Amino acid sequence: MNSLSGILCRVLQIGEAEIRDELTPADVPSWDSFNALLLVSELESAFKIKFTFAEVTGVQCVGDIRKILQSKGIPFESQKI
Amino acid sequence: MKTISENVSAIPRPVSAAGYFQLSRDFEKRFREGTWIPAKTMKIALLSSFTLNGLKEILLAQCGLSGIRASVYEAPYNQWAQEILDPSSALYAFAPELVILFADTASILGERYFRPYAPSSAGWQDWTDRQFEEFKGLVLLLKKRSNAKILLHNFEVPGYSPLGILESKQAFGFIEAVETLNQKLREAFKKNSQVYLLDYNGFLSRTGKHGAADPKMFYLADMKLDLQKMPGLVNEYMGMVRPLAGLAKKCLVLDLDNTLWGGVAGEDGMEGIRLGPTPEGRPFWEFQKMLAALHDRGVVLALNSRNNPEDALPILRNHPHMILREDFFASIRINWEDKAENLKSIAEELNLGLESFVFLDDDPANRARVRQAFPEVKVEDLPEDPALYVSMLMKVNAFDSLQLTREDFQKGRIYAQEKKRRGLEETSGDLTAYLRALEMEATLQNAEEKTVPRIAQLTQKTNQFNMTTRRYQEEDILRFFRNPGFWVFMAELRDKFGENGITAAVIVKKDQNAWEIDTFLMSCRIIGRRLEEVLMAHLLAEARKAGTGSVLGKFIPTEKNAPARGFYARCGFKCSGKDGQAEIWRHTLEKPFLAPDFISVKIKEKA
Repeated sequence: MNSLSGILCRVLQIGEAEIRDELTPADVPSWDSFNALLLVSELESAFKIKFTFAEVTGVQCVGDIRKILQSKGIPFESQKI
Repeated sequence: MKTISENVSAIPRPVSAAGYFQLSRDFEKRFREGTWIPAKTMKIALLSSFTLNGLKEILLAQCGLSGIRASVYEAPYNQWAQEILDPSSALYAFAPELVILFADTASILGERYFRPYAPSSAGWQDWTDRQFEEFKGLVLLLKKRSNAKILLHNFEVPGYSPLGILESKQAFGFIEAVETLNQKLREAFKKNSQVYLLDYNGFLSRTGKHGAADPKMFYLADMKLDLQKMPGLVNEYMGMVRPLAGLAKKCLVLDLDNTLWGGVAGEDGMEGIRLGPTPEGRPFWEFQKMLAALHDRGVVLALNSRNNPEDALPILRNHPHMILREDFFASIRINWEDKAENLKSIAEELNLGLESFVFLDDDPANRARVRQAFPEVKVEDLPEDPALYVSMLMKVNAFDSLQLTREDFQKGRIYAQEKKRRGLEETSGDLTAYLRALEMEATLQNAEEKTVPRIAQLTQKTNQFNMTTRRYQEEDILRFFRNPGFWVFMAELRDKFGENGITAAVIVKKDQNAWEIDTFLMSCRIIGRRLEEVLMAHLLAEARKAGTGSVLGKFIPTEKNAPARGFYARCGFKCSGKDGQAEIWRHTLEKPFLAPDFISVKIKEKA
């Protein structure tokens, strides 16, 4: 399940149907500061990339993560389940 | 509803930290639903000098995978020293069985970490002595106030110095200071059976100090260990947790073809198989050496191979580079039978429970078969590439134990000798004649300080011939041994095939009117040799000599101690009632009890 959606589901314990670009930490109670870091760690190790400090602190919603992954050359398809 | 208590070993290991989080939630859910019945429970306290978020869940998950339901107490952020110092702290109220102490180098160095050679950082020798005394003091205080075992992390040795190459030219540099601190801590607790050192610096060296912490995570959340490294660290903890829970493994069952050598004995023959100092042979050759090292430390080895014995045995006996010769193995099955059935018969032959077995086989089908037939067996996945066998084996800490006695070091060999004894048993049909032919000699002696670890270990490990199955730690045995109201003695048995070591122990509570047997146990290895009668004869004779009225014994039945049932009756005790499940037996000492004459007895009062 090395996809953005898969990792979001696993870390935030939510269903795939809930995932959309506009989703923010305010919408998901389990998206707390610790799970935000876990999300970073899982994405980095799944896609073998590193986020910068600014990228981590700048994320507001799922769409932002998607854009960062794209900018690091992760194709759109592998961001899906 | 199917419970997962029998098949935790079939749950795949998660590949990332989040997988462990998921698993810990899963275990908890199943426990609440009643579909997970853990084999053991364990209370673990985590005391650390920094944020360890995540470690708890990973620990819960790995404990679950070993059949343990852990409850974990985490000291508040950077409160670890206060928790130890305050006798009314939540730590002591939690009453942990294991305390993991994890202070990191940067925390104890403070500003010195950044500017080790600033004028204010002078005096590294003093700093080292101070830190050492402080830590030793805290650990000793914790030890005094708690019965918990203590797992103390050593300190990461810094990999950077502003002096660069000149660091090693300092009279006493700051890297040397941390190294010395580690060394002093190791020395201080070497002989302490309650405190164990976790080589955290070694762990980081293996996994990479550079990637140990992700810098942005550290700045964002004081996270000093990467989340993805935590499962590896927790695996190190499990080397302490499992034996503490009594779940250490004892026996390693091995396949031959493509496991101990490359190729297939029946096709490639002695000349064709890959084993020895060649590029293709070395992975197997060195793997065998590593396995021999486990045998040296007392792990019992056995073979379970699908082969014609006439193809495989000559290789075992005559191949110039075979390390694990026939006499390394306590039990050998080379046949075309079902591997699971073979495994069961090995367990019966060795008188060891299947839950103490680890199974290594290159064939995934065989592994699946064993997992399915015996979920209690730990089945390790051998990597597809033999070049990775050795590094895989280094990660297996299933055999770790908290003490290694002289008996343990010899155990691999003792079990292999046992194979020869069984050969004798088959040739002499009459049991008494067989026992006589063993030329047994028992040495009975009172406990001494140096035999305390072995006695504690026997109480923890002995399941079958154990009248009361009371588990004791070394500290408990020491208390009995120092209390004149108790008598602790044990027996060593040797026979014509060699030493068996200390294999039986008895603890007696000596009251004026009656002596009460608190513990009477004998290692399963020597069940059937009638050593137990020698011990009982000695006990009853001493009781008569002391003029006590009678000897009381309890038999507390468990799932496993059926072999001990009926023992009191055989020795002339009369059953005088029941206390719940337990049977109460009494010997009135009117008639002496005689032990069999084929075991000669030496009584050593003092060593």
